[in-house]
Amino acid sequence: MKIALLGNPGAGKSLIFNQLTGLGIEVNRYPGSSVCLECGNVCYKKEKIEIIDLPGIYSLDGSSEEEIIVRKFLERRGADILIAVLDATKLERSLYLFTQVTEFSQKIIVVVNMIDEAERQGLIIDGDQLSSCLGVPVLLTAASEGRDIDRILPLALGSGRVATIQVPYDHHIEAALKSLEKTLGTPRYKSLLALQGTGEDRMLLDAAGAVSHEIELRHRMSVRQIIATNRHNMCRKIAASAVRQGDRKKTYDLDSLLTRAFPGVPILVAVLFFLLLSVFVIGSWMEGIIVALFTTSVITPFTALALPTLWDRIGFSMLIALQAGLGIAFPFIFTFYLGLSLLEDTGYMTRAAFLADRAMHRLGLHGEAIIPMVIGFGCTVPAVMSLRILKTRREQTIAAFLISMVPCSARTVVIAGIVAAFVGILWAFSIYIIVFILIIFTAVILSRITPGEQFGMIVEMSALRRPQVRLVLAKSWLRIKEFLFIAMPVLIITSIGLGLLQYFEWTDAFQQVVAPITVNLLGLPEYASTALLFGVFRKELAFETLAVLAGTADLGSVMSSAQLYGFAIVSVLFIPCTSTIAVLYRQLGARITALISIYTVFLGLLIGAVINILMK
Amino acid sequence: MESSLREDYLEAVQHFFEKKGHHPSYEELAVALSKPESVVRSDMKVLVSSGDVSLLAGGVISLTGQGQQTGSSVIKKHETLQCFLSEILGMDSSAASDEACTLEHAVSDETIDRLGQLMVKQDGQRHFGQRGHGMQDRSGTCRAGEEECQYPSIADCTEGEHIIIHCIQGRASAKRLLDLGMVPGERVFVKRKVSNGALVVQVKGCDVALSPEIASVIGVERLK
Repeated sequence: MKIALLGNPGAGKSLIFNQLTGLGIEVNRYPGSSVCLECGNVCYKKEKIEIIDLPGIYSLDGSSEEEIIVRKFLERRGADILIAVLDATKLERSLYLFTQVTEFSQKIIVVVNMIDEAERQGLIIDGDQLSSCLGVPVLLTAASEGRDIDRILPLALGSGRVATIQVPYDHHIEAALKSLEKTLGTPRYKSLLALQGTGEDRMLLDAAGAVSHEIELRHRMSVRQIIATNRHNMCRKIAASAVRQGDRKKTYDLDSLLTRAFPGVPILVAVLFFLLLSVFVIGSWMEGIIVALFTTSVITPFTALALPTLWDRIGFSMLIALQAGLGIAFPFIFTFYLGLSLLEDTGYMTRAAFLADRAMHRLGLHGEAIIPMVIGFGCTVPAVMSLRILKTRREQTIAAFLISMVPCSARTVVIAGIVAAFVGILWAFSIYIIVFILIIFTAVILSRITPGEQFGMIVEMSALRRPQVRLVLAKSWLRIKEFLFIAMPVLIITSIGLGLLQYFEWTDAFQQVVAPITVNLLGLPEYASTALLFGVFRKELAFETLAVLAGTADLGSVMSSAQLYGFAIVSVLFIPCTSTIAVLYRQLGARITALISIYTVFLGLLIGAVINILMK
Repeated sequence: MESSLREDYLEAVQHFFEKKGHHPSYEELAVALSKPESVVRSDMKVLVSSGDVSLLAGGVISLTGQGQQTGSSVIKKHETLQCFLSEILGMDSSAASDEACTLEHAVSDETIDRLGQLMVKQDGQRHFGQRGHGMQDRSGTCRAGEEECQYPSIADCTEGEHIIIHCIQGRASAKRLLDLGMVPGERVFVKRKVSNGALVVQVKGCDVALSPEIASVIGVERLK
């Protein structure tokens, strides 16, 4: 028995899902996409029930990845019973998706969630009236308090049924639906999609296209608009009959602070700064503990085994990669994700996007792009994965370039370990400033030369609410799993590869070949090239390798300040790490990945050479 | 004097002026209205006393500010009605003109405004129709041009304004707006507008943030 949850983003679907399934969530990456479907199993009356949390969407006839996935899921009847989660505070708007779902004629129940929030706003929702309007059972719940969540499954299994409502479309549309059904035998939902130009059946699309053209001429409105208006009108009627506005308690509107230029923008800057600062402080503290623990409990015993050299090398490289993954991924990225999930769950990120809209426009992007950019400070891999929230290829391309340049936590380790420690803390900040200037410069150029249409921001501002600890943790955990899933294998494979390089002493040959560049152009010692090469594998390794090759942890004694500074800036700018390249390739294809790699290599060498000349 | 007669005179004088570039004499006005000159002379005296007309040297009739305003407004009404009757309803153009002469005195300013907007829309639709034939994009949304929407856009509105959405232009990507309830006829409240032109609008109880370029494709009607 399979049950699927669907609803608008922010309707509390995930919280309900978490409460229904408890722990033990599996995340299945949907084939061929980066959208995750969360599945969990529960046992109810000795029967195993699989619960699927579909991605939050606003509509079923769009072309975003999420919408297509949910549509396909419904088309192949992926679940036996559907649970439509509606937002009690936005009942009318949530019903819009429900009207579309009913067109698929599948067993369904309605859960009106966040009833506690609606009560606070003085909204009184008549569940029985709603149930008789929709023709399906309706349950009022408050997931944040856990109210009536336990009644969802019994109701779904016991009385889930096909909804009786049907949107009364404009008579021209209805006529078209009838004639398509008669001539081609297409079901209603499919014809509706075809009239809006969506679908794969060429014959159906052609037939529907001719009719919709006719209708558009007659109505002076696109068919999409007509259909949307018809649906919204019905939702309005239903909501009007089921919702009553009682006394509204006066509450202070925090948005009067958060969404104004002042003090909103200073707050935004402070929030982001605090986020990064706490990630750095907590992250480096945890990193120290984990790395030390791993060294004493795993690496030392392993080296004590004294395996044959080749195997020792391979095993050692693997362990080092694991240690790095756990030492960096876990402390920095997980802390970062905690902070980010916290910000998202309070609803602040949408405000940040709104405020950042203008600044982002200057970079050829729009407000929503702030989210991948901020994630990029934690780790570039998930930042690239989050690029899909941007709607056009143009924006994704520009943002991918910029994200690849944003100093991630691993690069912060390089800056802190080399420059802050041996040159000076102000010099360390100057690297950030140089990188930011280069990012802005890159963005300005790219926004002029990148082909494609600029598309703006349309974001629903999520309601400000108190985050749920459990949900924040669950979300961060899911994300870190996503990271481990992609980055870890790459990390281990490249680590072994580099170990072998060292074993067969190919790195010396490499050093010889690139010596002119390292020594003459960048003014660095010969062995720095190997450190930079290792930095491609993962950024903070550039720092560690440099120390190993220099033969001392006191880098200040073997390299001049100018050399250290130059080395740090080159390794920060230089080509993204292998995990990033892998995920870039998956998300944007070979061409953009190659362009980004070439550009950053060029930029790193250029800036390194300039620093070398200036500081000589 | 009856108000319709007054309006006819003022209209005629203004029309003559706009067409010929100078003000009419009694004789010219009488010809234009096909009335005896004596009647015109006596009626003019009444209009002079009501402050609509001033007589210049040599029997030339000119309009005061008030008279000119009325005259122009009646001409506009006449033209709009005549256009509506002939273009939209398909009446014969001279019959349309005659009928417009009667209707113009009774019709309200609002009706004329709305008729005007309707015809602008119709006009836009004709362009839309022509484009429509070549429109084979899969999204199927209308890609009508700028001329379709003669309304101010949300981007022109200020914080705190209540508006009604009138039309959403072109762009396939505006689909998300429809999903969020931004459909023609929907009442919307402009909750926040920051100096960069980005807005937060309240629609169906939800706050939606829009970039300036998105806001500029949404034609609206402002509510006072």
